[in-house]
Formats: sequence, structure tokens, C-alpha cells
Amino acid sequence: MSKKAVYKPAKKQLRKRLYEYRWVYVLGIPGLTMMFLFHYLPMKGLLMAFQDYNPHLGILGSPWVGFKHFQTLFHDAKFYAMLRNTLVISGLSLLTFPAPIILALVLNEVRNSGFKKLIQTAVYLPHFLSWTIVVSLTFFLLSTEQGLVNKIAMAMGKEPTAYLFSTSAIYPIIILQGMWKEIGWGSIVYLAAISGVDQSLYEAAKMDGASRFQCMMKITLPSIMPTVVVMLIMRMGSIISVGFEQVFLMNNAMVKRQLEVFEVYIYNNGIASGSTQYSYTTAIGMFKSVVNTTMVIFANWLTNRKGYEGIM
Amino acid sequence: MAKTGLDKKKMGMKAKENIYQSILWVILLLLAATMVLPFLYVVVVSFTDATVYSAGSFYLWPRKWSVEAYKLILSGAGFLNSLKTTVFITAIGTPMSVIMNACVAYMLSKPIPGKRFFNKYVTFTMLFGAGMMPAFMNIRNLGLIDNYFAMILPGTCGAWNIMVMRSFFQSLPYELEESAKMDGCGQVRSFAVIVLPLSKAMLATMTLFSFVGYWNTYFSSVMYMTSSAKSTLQVYLQKVVLSSNISELVDLSNELANTVPQEVMRMAAVVVVVFPVLIIYPFLQKYFASGMLVGAVKG
Repeated sequence: MSKKAVYKPAKKQLRKRLYEYRWVYVLGIPGLTMMFLFHYLPMKGLLMAFQDYNPHLGILGSPWVGFKHFQTLFHDAKFYAMLRNTLVISGLSLLTFPAPIILALVLNEVRNSGFKKLIQTAVYLPHFLSWTIVVSLTFFLLSTEQGLVNKIAMAMGKEPTAYLFSTSAIYPIIILQGMWKEIGWGSIVYLAAISGVDQSLYEAAKMDGASRFQCMMKITLPSIMPTVVVMLIMRMGSIISVGFEQVFLMNNAMVKRQLEVFEVYIYNNGIASGSTQYSYTTAIGMFKSVVNTTMVIFANWLTNRKGYEGIM
Repeated sequence: MAKTGLDKKKMGMKAKENIYQSILWVILLLLAATMVLPFLYVVVVSFTDATVYSAGSFYLWPRKWSVEAYKLILSGAGFLNSLKTTVFITAIGTPMSVIMNACVAYMLSKPIPGKRFFNKYVTFTMLFGAGMMPAFMNIRNLGLIDNYFAMILPGTCGAWNIMVMRSFFQSLPYELEESAKMDGCGQVRSFAVIVLPLSKAMLATMTLFSFVGYWNTYFSSVMYMTSSAKSTLQVYLQKVVLSSNISELVDLSNELANTVPQEVMRMAAVVVVVFPVLIIYPFLQKYFASGMLVGAVKG
């Protein structure tokens, strides 16, 4: 108790330090191996994008074609359709970006902590449901014959509407599903930011006769702005990604054109049984990965430049 | 006694505050209702007796209860097979992933030589992925097609989980381990007997995240499992609800199948698949508010 432990990393020789930590390295080996096997090893497969890959010849034996597939890609109308769909879904879901912020602000205003907890329990739940469950619930709500909405419509003497097959309704449904699932979970980060706001600001404002609503708009919101900016920039970094499982499950013959995004095409033409476009689908995937990485790096750079702490 | 004018002002403020609070309550209750009512509806219909059920109407309370839909769903071979698969991958994958992630996180929290490299090695996986096609080819080259481990192993180590745990380990007081070291306690032992017991809450959270992740396995089953007997519960659910081949999955030679409407069976299937997550959820929930996870992401 009497002596304070002072941590001084002794400048030992490298070999000595390696020896000292030998068992710590051993602890890390299984996990790092898994990462190698399932994150780094697949990168070898990117070579397929520059070949006419033939499964019988393998990566070493298949003929090299350079950038042929990328050239095809940039002249393929289908590619631009996929890019458009991705950007539309991503862009529209950006509209729901303020939703969790508003939820956090509203939750923070609630006085009764029991009620607050109850609401939080309900709104966090959908984050843990699989997309299969969420899409099933959507089906029970909106399907033409079994959907609750149409049952109510028919009870009132109206014609049922085929929402899930409607090209104009499908994007709003996708966006609302995403918002429903993640609004609560997304609010956690803002609630954490709000809890860090200096309480003396509120007391000072109260003295000056500010209402609770004014406090929210003039103190809470500006105080969490840094978090909002960071989250927005990060969101922009993933603009080329859409929730693939969701889109895959929501697909049907009528809205196929609206919901064809990169992974759906890759799965249908590269992986699903009978498909053979190994190299072309790899090239599409690689395009997406490269754009994604560039955007994330750029977003992170922007975050750091603005003086906030990014992810790297 | 205070002045009456001030009292009046106070009462006015109090009334205002009450109105303000009621508005907030209404907004939040409406939002929460959208999360709760769909489940309530599905549960109610799934327990409704076939004799009182008619496809055109809806209710928020069954006039006659029945578990026949559940009997049908649970006895179908499709359900039992996929339940086996999901339970297997969840039971193996969850502890594996938590232990491996904790070990890597502990390694990164120590001042080991090469720390910068290992940090980059882990974070790079968040930054760049090879994509679906190379991942598929990789699984095929490793000979894991139609093998349960194709659904377990790729998800074991995640950079995000590792970073969260690393920050947590770094936040533990250094002196604890140092004094153990003085007493001749090795690194691995100090990890096992000092660090891990202090991280119970963190480990519980990670376990539950991992559990939900494996339980919800859908697409890796679609991609890697060629025999349908090995697909997961989520795939089963997708088949039952979204494609109309209920007959493959429920034994329709059973005479009950002719009486229970397919819609009721579908809803029973949803309830069965979502049930474990709903059971686990309350245990998970108490850790969210602490902000433990949020604060740990940075750094």
C-alpha cells in the first residue's frame, strides 16, 4: 500500500521481450489464424478478376486477360443499373439518419426513468432480430392475401394492394424496415454523448428561464454535434453498401429490377448452382470493395481533419 | 409563505411540464407499439384455433386457443433438422468466438514487440474485404462446402469485437497484473485468473452478441450448405414463410395439416425461431445503457 507502482517500460532487448511475452503470442495464434484463413486468404481469389477463370484449370492455370472484365463492366448497362439501385437505396436511407438522434433527444427529456427503460427495451429489440424475421413480419403486415393492412382494407370494402410487388412501394418499405430495425440501437451512441454534456449548462439556462425544449435545442443538440458529424461521415463511408440480406429476402419477380444490387447479381451469376460467371462477378465485387475502402479512408481522413477522433 | 404570484408562475410551469411530458410519452408509446404489436399479432394468430380462424378477419385476442400449429411445425422433419444445425453452430461457435477474440484482444493490449503490425493486421479486415465470390472460392478450396464449420469459422474473429475488448483490457488498472507478476504469476495465468474475472460483464455481452449472430445465421447457410438437411433455422423460416413450399417442411400427411391454415403455421414458425432471442434479450439489455460498448469503440 505504501509504495505506488510506477510503470516504466524497460528498454529491454527485443529477444528478451519476445521471450517475456511468448505465451501472450501463443494466446493470439488461433484468432489471428482464423483471420488469415477467412479474411486474408480469400484475397488470393481477387486474381480471378484478371482471368477467364475456369474451375478445372484453377487460379494458376486459367488464362490471364488483364482488365477485360473491368472494361466490360464499365460498358455494361446492368452495372450502371446496379450502381443506381445501390445509391438510391443508400441515399434514401440517409433520410432516416436523424431518426435515432431525435429518439435520443426525446428519450433524454423523459423524467420517469422506469418508463424510459421500458421504451428502451422495446426499441432496442429489433436490432437483434434476423432479417428473415423482419421480412416475415413485413410479409404478415403487407402481403396481398395474408397481410394485416390488406385485411383491414378489405374489411372496409377496399381492393387489396400488392405492396410487396409494387415497384413504387418497395424502396419506402426497404427504408422503413431499416429504420424500424436500427432506430433504437442507433440512438445508444447519442444517448451516451448526451450523458456527457456538462450539467452546469442546464442549471445556468434554467436560471435564465429557459424551457426544457429550449435547453434541448440550444444546449443538448449543439453539445452532441461532434458525435453527429462523426456518425454522418462514417455513414457516408458506407454509401456503396446496402443491407444485402434484406434486399435478397425482399426480392421477387416484380421488383427484381429495383432490387438488383451488386451482391444479388454476384450471388445469382457466380455462386448459385449452374452459374459460371466466376471472373466477371469477382470483378464486380472487387469494384465495390475498392470503392468502399476508398470511401472509408476518405471519411476517416475527413473525421480526423475536422478534429474528431475517427475509427483508425 | 412565498408570494402568490411566484406560486402561480410555478404552477403554470408545472402544468406546462406535464403537457410536455405527456407529448413525449405519446410519441414514445407509438414508436414502441410499432416494435411490440407485430409480435403480439403473430403470437395471437399462431395460437388461434383453426375452427374459429377465418382468413379474412383479424383479431388481437384469440377466441379459442390451440397449439395445433405448433404441433405440426415442431413435428416436421424440416424443423428438427434445421434446429439441430442451428443449435450445433451456435453451441460451438459462440464460446469459440468469444475465447478467440478475448485472447487476441489481450495480446493487443500488451506492449508486445510487433504490436503496431498486429493492430494493423486486425483493423485492415474492417477496411477491405475480398468480396463474396473470393470468399466462396476460399471456402470451396478449404473443402468446407456443406460442412457446418463453413458457417462457424469465418465469423469467429471480428475486428470490432477485438477492438472493444482490447480497449476494455487496457482500461483495467495496470497494478493488478504487475503485482501478480511480482508474485511469480505468468502472463497466461494472470489473464485467466485476474483479467477475465474482472471482465465478466464484457464477456457476457460478447457472448450474447455472438449467440445472436450465430442463431441468426442465414446467408452463409444459403451459400455453403448444399444439402438442405443441413440448412439453418433461418433458412427454414424463409422457406416456410416467404416461399410457398410449406408442404416440403411440414408433414402434410398428418391429418392436422388439413385443418390448420398455412398462415397460422407460418406465424407459429416465426414464434418458434424468434423465441430464443427473446429469452436471451433481457439479459443482454442491461449492458446497453452502461455505454460500455460505445465508449470503447474509439482509441
